[in-house]
Amino acid sequence: MAAWVVFLLGRAAAPPAYLDPGSGSYLIQLVLAGALGALLAIRMSWGRIKGMFRRGEPAEDEQPEKHDE
Amino acid sequence: MTSSGRSGASFRDPSGFLFVRDGTLYRQINQSYRPAYDQLIESGLFTELVQGGWLIPHEPMGIPPAEPAIASLIIRPEPVSFISYPYEWSYSQLQDAALATLEIQQRALKRGLSLKDASAYNIQFHRGRPVLIDTLSFEPYREGEPWVAYRQFCQHFLAPLALMSRRDIRLGQLLRLHIDGVPLDLAARLLPWRARLNPGLLTHIYLHAASQHRYAGADIRSERRGRGMSKNAFLGLIDNLRRTVSRLTWSPGRTDWAEYGQMHNYTPFAYEAKHRIVGDFLDRSRPRSVWDLGANVGEFSRIASDRGVPTIAFDIDPSAVEVNYRQVRRAGETNLLPLLMDLTNPSPAQGWQHAEREAMVSRGPTDLVMALALIHHLAIGNNVPLPQLASFFADLGQWLILEFVPKSDSQVKIMLASREDIFSDYHQQGLERALAAFFDLREAHKIQDSERTLYLWEKR
Repeated sequence: MAAWVVFLLGRAAAPPAYLDPGSGSYLIQLVLAGALGALLAIRMSWGRIKGMFRRGEPAEDEQPEKHDE
Repeated sequence: MTSSGRSGASFRDPSGFLFVRDGTLYRQINQSYRPAYDQLIESGLFTELVQGGWLIPHEPMGIPPAEPAIASLIIRPEPVSFISYPYEWSYSQLQDAALATLEIQQRALKRGLSLKDASAYNIQFHRGRPVLIDTLSFEPYREGEPWVAYRQFCQHFLAPLALMSRRDIRLGQLLRLHIDGVPLDLAARLLPWRARLNPGLLTHIYLHAASQHRYAGADIRSERRGRGMSKNAFLGLIDNLRRTVSRLTWSPGRTDWAEYGQMHNYTPFAYEAKHRIVGDFLDRSRPRSVWDLGANVGEFSRIASDRGVPTIAFDIDPSAVEVNYRQVRRAGETNLLPLLMDLTNPSPAQGWQHAEREAMVSRGPTDLVMALALIHHLAIGNNVPLPQLASFFADLGQWLILEFVPKSDSQVKIMLASREDIFSDYHQQGLERALAAFFDLREAHKIQDSERTLYLWEKR
């Protein structure tokens, strides 16, 4: 139900798109879409597999790498 | 600012605009954006981002709109004490701003929204942290659509970061030349060849630039047909950008300036005396804001910011600003903003009608200007006559803490070693005469164990 409301809102609420995404910038995302989705899925699965062996340890650092601290 | 009070930088997006009334900054939300604004609030995203310190808080105001015919709501954003621009940021400031943008986008996607722009100018450093100041940057996420702001993110953030990291830190200044970010074909030409070996740069700069070239001015409706970008792919794109940005690195070189904290021109006794006198001057003048010009790594700026005074630490050296910012980040300092600034060529008014980006001086005045160990660089290093220096300081602030560095000082001797001394007025009396045209002298102390003098002046 909540998802449906969000969907309806999404359809109804689109504000004017003022930014030109650029033809090339738009299309390259469509071309890369499959690879980017697959890469994320692999990373998440790999994270879960690693997590099974490292239970209790903190998750992989998702913060920007600190160089001096 | 236009005559109606509408901000000169606020015209691209028809969702709304900023305006100033009676000295207070407001944002008008137009009718066309109202459903998206309601979704931002009702989805819980607004509360989540504000509580996390990612988005500027605001409150709805019951005041008459600036442009009633198209208005839906007026909000008053929490004021940001100083607006700075990406070409004034150090490497890590730009990197943190990029990562903040991606963090916000990831959180938005989880709640069914997406960023409709990714402008570096929408990020400001507020209480030490990068914060999104444009409440109208969100739109409902539409399944199947790519990221409309992908190009802008790459131009505003990724390309300059890659150039600064992989070619030369000074290339960050390309942002001052290109108001919508560094063109990707230019970045691709300037980056070293081996940058192609980085999969993120290969994808988001080189292939992206090639795609822009291939489809420039083309009708892409047939290419789009039947293709879409799943939400998983969208999240993959954001995650990939985040990993690419966070893995780029740059470390300050061991330049003379960045080592200043350890290697300066004072005996320990004189250094301590200088600290004490600056503190006394600040206690006497009680400023509400401070601009420290030529602040280096912010050693003396912190005398002000540690007293709770919002302080900007300007310096010309990217290494010094970087070291300073890392210290701000490490210690969670909230009153100090380090910025890159060449005082001999300060940030100008730029963009459409010179009104999109303000000049450095227009963003003042401040209450108190500090110019410590600075004037020999401007008067001798840049040939600025002392009366013009005095006039510059008078434009910037009400109070002035100034350190005079005489010709007998070893630093000045080095500057004059390779050139003719044409600076017959450069002495203490000459300086006092020049400043007295604008200011009254409040205090002067010779720094013991040194050739230098510290002054406190107040503008008439």
